Amino acid sequence: MTNELAELTRVAQAYDARHQFISSIAWPGGARIAVNLTVDFDAMLLRRLMNEPPMQLAKGEFGGRVGIWRLLELFESHNVKATIFTPGRICELYPQAMRAAARGGHEIADHMWEHRVPRDAALEHDHLLKTAAALQKIAGRRPVGTRSDHTRALLQREGFLYTSDGSAAQLPYYVTDDATADTTLLNLPFHYAIDDAMFFSFAWLGSGNAAQRITDPERVFDMWWAAFRQQYRAGGYLNVVMHPFVSGRALRIAMLDRLIAKMKTLPGVWFATCEEVARHCLATCPPRHG
Amino acid sequence: MPWKDGYTISDEIGLADRDLRWPDGQRCCVSITVDLSVAAGPAGITAADLASPAAEFARHDGLAQLLAVLRRHALHATFAVPAVMARILADQLRVLTNEGHEIAAEGLRHEDVGALSRQDERERLALTTQIVTEATGQRPAGWFSLPRQEDPFAGGTISPHTIDLLLEAGYEYFGNGLADDIPHYWVSDFAARRALLTLPYYYHFDDQFFLLFPRKGTGLENADMLFRNWKAEFDAQYRRGRLFHMTLHPQGIGWCNRVQMLDDFLGYMRSLPGLWNPTGAACARYWRETYPEQTHLRLEPSIWQDYPGSLS
Repeated sequence: MTNELAELTRVAQAYDARHQFISSIAWPGGARIAVNLTVDFDAMLLRRLMNEPPMQLAKGEFGGRVGIWRLLELFESHNVKATIFTPGRICELYPQAMRAAARGGHEIADHMWEHRVPRDAALEHDHLLKTAAALQKIAGRRPVGTRSDHTRALLQREGFLYTSDGSAAQLPYYVTDDATADTTLLNLPFHYAIDDAMFFSFAWLGSGNAAQRITDPERVFDMWWAAFRQQYRAGGYLNVVMHPFVSGRALRIAMLDRLIAKMKTLPGVWFATCEEVARHCLATCPPRHG
Repeated sequence: MPWKDGYTISDEIGLADRDLRWPDGQRCCVSITVDLSVAAGPAGITAADLASPAAEFARHDGLAQLLAVLRRHALHATFAVPAVMARILADQLRVLTNEGHEIAAEGLRHEDVGALSRQDERERLALTTQIVTEATGQRPAGWFSLPRQEDPFAGGTISPHTIDLLLEAGYEYFGNGLADDIPHYWVSDFAARRALLTLPYYYHFDDQFFLLFPRKGTGLENADMLFRNWKAEFDAQYRRGRLFHMTLHPQGIGWCNRVQMLDDFLGYMRSLPGLWNPTGAACARYWRETYPEQTHLRLEPSIWQDYPGSLS
């Protein structure tokens, strides 16, 4: 029994040791909060990967045909830049939308090749390079960020600056793959509660019928505004996750339009790309090494 | 893989708001589907589904309440009718067609055809067409495959052959597509440009997912959320000049406060000018004339490539 407790304590301590938190951060221009609007443009790729039936794929297809264009229009109408986390394969399915996103000044970042990270190291590397090449062809530069659980050492070798996956702290923080390895990467946390798919997508992540939480935009507006207000007061950070096949529906674009407009009524809101936030964190609150 | 088979069913970019026109300069299309299936799950309508108080309500009181509300607001709907329900409700179907509603087909017993052989599905489709035609005196123009409450997904189920078989059988449209929020072409063969016009459906505007979902007794009653979804979508689509679509089930929406809510919502819609309320067939015909697939289905050459270590 004592050994088990010692082991559990060791596990928690080892996990702690992999994290370096930022206790407070001064955003550029004295801003009170940094807001990352992030788009996971996987359309039907995850549905395909999970071998879901035809209507599920069509549901995802909405994101590529319609939703991504509406999100780009929305960002443009508010003059804000977003980060589009894009699987490499999407560049073959929706090249026109991707070129429009790049032309609009949005950051094009990695979201895996076909929405999975292969276990085999060589194939993982191959997928990461394929995605980087596909995104570079569209955006004119290599991605510097990823929303994935790609191996950090690999990401760092390939020049990535940040991940955006997981929520171990409210402010951006650093994660090391292994306490002994020098592969520390910045993470820009996103939380499932600020993710459209949790509220607007049936059967998200395999959830059963009795576990559906599909709801209406007004409830989600209230929750997300409350999250924003709390972080605004705290001098913090908010990452809003949108999927084009979910948020691209007309009723939700209208909700996001109201949300962004309301955020903009307050002074000191920094709408930035993930890369801008990452570079600011790295420059002003760099990780300790060794 | 030659095209984007297994990934996409239509072209790369949907029609933008600015390119959308409705007849006579109307502002927004309002399309209503009423599902007359009482199937609980993928097996389709069973004896137990039919011999229940809820099914009895759906056939009589609930349907009457729903029709009264549609009548009050002078709105037309397309009724998706499984062949077995066309037999059971033959008298009611004649009332519906007399009042200008459309009867469309919804399978033999609204069963999941996903795993059937092409031949088996073809035979069921032909028999369904025959039975629905006998019941209404008119060949159905549209085919629906709406979701059931106990399906694992909320989009309806079809097989890889369904769209092609519907084209082969002369259907004019498929009634519940999720890839757009306006009519669009569902391509069954990219090389041959074989495509079936598809009307939009979305489960957030379908009453069954908010009214004691997933089943009575243990499900959740979220009628207020349904109302807010309808209103938010209608307002947004009205502003854009696009299409608002809703799906109703007599066994759900016909009851007390719910039918009042429907009445209130339809009254709100009706208070705004410029609504075009076609049946599915009328909408499909307008669409094919105005946006024919020869000019409006833009199948860009695919740049899809196969790689070792990737899904095809």
